[in-house]
Amino acid sequence: MRISLNWLKKFVDIKISDDELVRLIGARLVEVEGVIDETHKYDNIYVVRVASAEKIPDTHLTLCQIDAGAADVAKVEKNEGLIQVVCGAPNVREGMLAAWIAPGATVPASVNEDAPFVIGKRKMLGKYDSYGMLAGADELDFGDDHSGIVEIDPAVAKSGDKLADVFELNDKILDIENKSLTHRPDTFGVIGFAREVAGIMGVKFAVPAFSAEALQKSAGQDTANLSISIASPDICERYSAIVLTKHGEIKKKYLTWQDTILAKSGMRPIDPIVDATNYLMLLTGQPLHAFDYDKFVAVGGTKKPQINVRLAKAGEKLTLLDGKEVALVPADIVICSGDTPVALAGAMGGASTEIDENTRNIIIESATFSLYNLRKTQMEHGIFSEAITRFTKGQPVYQTMTVAEDCAAMLADGFKIVGEADEYPKPAKQDVVKITTHEINNLLGTEYGDDLIVKTLENVGFEVKTGAELTVTAPLWRKDIHIKEDIIEEVGRLLGYDNITPTLPKHGTANVNKMLELKTRIRNLMASYGANETLTYSFVSGRLIENAGQDTKNSYKIVNSISPELQFVRQSITPSLLDKAHMNQKIPYDKFALYEFNKVYQVAWGRDAEDVPVERTRMGFVLAERKTKGAAYYKAKLYVEKLLSELNIPVVFRPMTTEIAMAKPYEPKRAAEIFTHEGQFVGVVGEFRGLVRRNFKLEDYAAGFELDLDVVLENTKNKVVSNDFVVKDKEDVTITTTKTYAEVLAEVEKDNPGAEITPLGIYQPEGAKEKNITFHIVKK
Amino acid sequence: MEELEKLKQELKKLNAEYSKIKDVAVEKRAEFGRELNAKKIAILDKIAKAEDALLDRKVEALDVTAPVAPNERMPEVYSVFDGSKHPLMMELDRVVAIYQSMGFDVMESRQLDDEYHMFDSLNFAKEHPARDGYDTFRTEEGLIPPAHTSTMQNRVLKSYKHLLGEGKEIAVVVPGRVYRNEDVDATHEHTFYQCEGVYVSETCTMGDMLGILREFFEKYYEQKLNIRTQPGYFPFTEPSLEFMIEKPKALGGKKGDFLEMLGCGMIHPNVLKMAGIDPTKYHGFAWGGGIDRLVMLRYGLKDVRYFESGNLNFLREFN
Repeated sequence: MRISLNWLKKFVDIKISDDELVRLIGARLVEVEGVIDETHKYDNIYVVRVASAEKIPDTHLTLCQIDAGAADVAKVEKNEGLIQVVCGAPNVREGMLAAWIAPGATVPASVNEDAPFVIGKRKMLGKYDSYGMLAGADELDFGDDHSGIVEIDPAVAKSGDKLADVFELNDKILDIENKSLTHRPDTFGVIGFAREVAGIMGVKFAVPAFSAEALQKSAGQDTANLSISIASPDICERYSAIVLTKHGEIKKKYLTWQDTILAKSGMRPIDPIVDATNYLMLLTGQPLHAFDYDKFVAVGGTKKPQINVRLAKAGEKLTLLDGKEVALVPADIVICSGDTPVALAGAMGGASTEIDENTRNIIIESATFSLYNLRKTQMEHGIFSEAITRFTKGQPVYQTMTVAEDCAAMLADGFKIVGEADEYPKPAKQDVVKITTHEINNLLGTEYGDDLIVKTLENVGFEVKTGAELTVTAPLWRKDIHIKEDIIEEVGRLLGYDNITPTLPKHGTANVNKMLELKTRIRNLMASYGANETLTYSFVSGRLIENAGQDTKNSYKIVNSISPELQFVRQSITPSLLDKAHMNQKIPYDKFALYEFNKVYQVAWGRDAEDVPVERTRMGFVLAERKTKGAAYYKAKLYVEKLLSELNIPVVFRPMTTEIAMAKPYEPKRAAEIFTHEGQFVGVVGEFRGLVRRNFKLEDYAAGFELDLDVVLENTKNKVVSNDFVVKDKEDVTITTTKTYAEVLAEVEKDNPGAEITPLGIYQPEGAKEKNITFHIVKK
Repeated sequence: MEELEKLKQELKKLNAEYSKIKDVAVEKRAEFGRELNAKKIAILDKIAKAEDALLDRKVEALDVTAPVAPNERMPEVYSVFDGSKHPLMMELDRVVAIYQSMGFDVMESRQLDDEYHMFDSLNFAKEHPARDGYDTFRTEEGLIPPAHTSTMQNRVLKSYKHLLGEGKEIAVVVPGRVYRNEDVDATHEHTFYQCEGVYVSETCTMGDMLGILREFFEKYYEQKLNIRTQPGYFPFTEPSLEFMIEKPKALGGKKGDFLEMLGCGMIHPNVLKMAGIDPTKYHGFAWGGGIDRLVMLRYGLKDVRYFESGNLNFLREFN
């Protein structure tokens, strides 16, 4: 949303600098994404009188002599006080007031372009000097109209006036982050915004006269011309409508201040009726829609308009103003003439009731609709207009009729009210909140007095009754005030959170988080082992799961995934690392070890006591080398053994028989299951199945492990030393055997109690059944 | 072996079938061809599997208890100079350590949660637009990979509320991985890390919240900092604020440059109620902010996508 500071200042007296104002708005109301500085955008642009206009024969051009009055213009040759300009617009004529961009000035519409267009002196047709240009609305950045130059009302300006002074164009525009006002629909009009600014300034907001006049009007005019029926107040809380009939022409001759406001707010002037509805929306936050009365009646086949507001029915279609036919969905709210949909409520009008140059009678709609339905409509049909942006915040209902009447007042030159109807089936009650000053200060950590609190709330329209406690009634436009904390928010925010002194509360001492501590410990160890900690996505593709030999049915499936690459919640860490191993081999890295800690989920594990999926924390590890031969298993085993021994978890390695998901990528004949001495399963280590390796395009030398970190944590113990630091004896022993290494080691350990036993190597002569295992034994 | 032979025979027979196509009526040929192709694909798939199984059968078994394969060199770990720690994890450790020094316990966030914890227990009205605003992923079962670490607030409150009865306070931070359904570019990731904080006691104030947060960032950036706030909106806090710090000198900050660091606010009474805490007696505050951005600021990193890339060119920068 864009808000002109000049416009804002019409509603609230601001005595501080613009920078300070912007800072305060940011600190106490809403995120200001940026400030668009237009204080020089209209420099050297003047109101001029066209003193003479002569057609140049055989061209579309007109040779004009203009009177720039007292304008202080350099680089211009005057002839009898007049300046010569060649103009191509068909509507240029003697006597009119126009906007003249003087030589040296920048065309306003081009100021944000890479190369802003600076006007100079030009020679036209080889013989006419032309100084500057007479500007059209498009060049002045007031719209798309390129049909002619703008004409200025002699009642508002005279030649020589600066255009910027006439239309208050030396302005700064606030670019507001809409999301940060999601809960404040009342601030989506400049009046509501100004009310908050007044509150921030500590002054009472005065409701502007235009609205106040309308507020005093009674709504009880002739209602015989139309009837309104709302299917349920849940979809439309209030629907007000006014019927206007044409009694004259609205002459759109001059550039108006209102046009410039539309432009500054990011909208474009279109025609007087649409402009009036848009202007009022920007002013009050209440979107309006205009129907062609006669078309409306014709579509419904009724004598008088019967407006029906209801949900769309399956199969219904509607052609919108932009010419697109949409298939309505049951969440859409539609405005019907009789039973025929003629507009998509809050989103866009229908083509069948569009106003045009022949329109004689108009229905002005001013209503509120369910934001929930409109959000669905917005998403379903992809409509993102200024109006629906406001409706989807939940517009307050109190002003629908008065805004419609304001609209009638704006169009009074050409139209008069001949009927009104207002359907408001379940009038809203304003919440009353009782709160004490102590409660406010107690939560904020402030010492604000009663008077200050009362004044702060009253400034923005709250009614406050004082007494033992404050009885606070929210204004009509606030639908978000229900509990004490809402009042505390108002007080704290308007008086400035920055004025609250930061303090430190009492605190105790924290407990150690053992899992974090374990991970930190492992992280340090793994770094010293030359491994690289990695993070990969929790979501993987079905292909990745299958490539790793796992079943996608065991993965939770994301229904709104960004892409098929991110469709499933992973079951284990290893497959993600295999994927990254391939990528790194391509870079190319010849040797590396990747590992990751993260959480995994499997459908097969079911739910826990909280009825959410059972969660396990895992450590996955994959090493891969290019151009290396041999059994990678032993390197992965070395890593896991070193790691677990540092954590003082004695384990045994058993041939792999398990078929759990974690084990799927591993080759059973070249992988082991890891158990604690007490028989608790810790994880798996091994080389990968040939098929898996081929699926992930890995070279042969690759292995990994995956550990259940919850089990590791449970079994982690402090390291205990033997206290026997003196070496008594040491020897190397070679044993020739057909047994497994573990069996032999057990025998050696039995023979050498308390000794430190390190394997030195295993040698197996070619063709021999037996192997020779050499140990280094240090006795202490 | 026999099975593979059988499959190959079947394939041969099937290939022969193709010649019969000329005996089929012209209008049925396409269908005939389609059926044959489908059969062929199925058999080829079976053959591939059987061949793989055969290869697997040829795999030589290892002595998984041994430290090395016979006649190979004893394995060694890689050089310490190649090792690295993930910068996000190091940062998270540092953040958590500071909060711990300030008396905050640590509870890690879940990565798959439900509607109750993600929204209901946080005072999101059933159809509140804010539910869409969080761009949440959902599983077929309606589970949610959380879009914010606030998904743990209800658990934190429930599991620590006994402390309130003992006259103590709840002080917990929740680091964790969160997910949002948004397009990825240099500054947006669908997967990122946050750290949540929760504090509840009988006497705490918004002043305390601002104090705690300023204290944290002053310790984190090792300098005195100016802070600013901006009104915010979250269904689970009232009032809600955005918290900013003046850009620290270490990051090349100048006076008047402010960085938005996190969202915070006084815990909404309904959130306390949902956890069985009496909001008329106790109140609290909570906050949550991203970790990825802290890391990017620290190292001057320009592209968030490196974090989950697994790319060693990036990872090995962080020894």
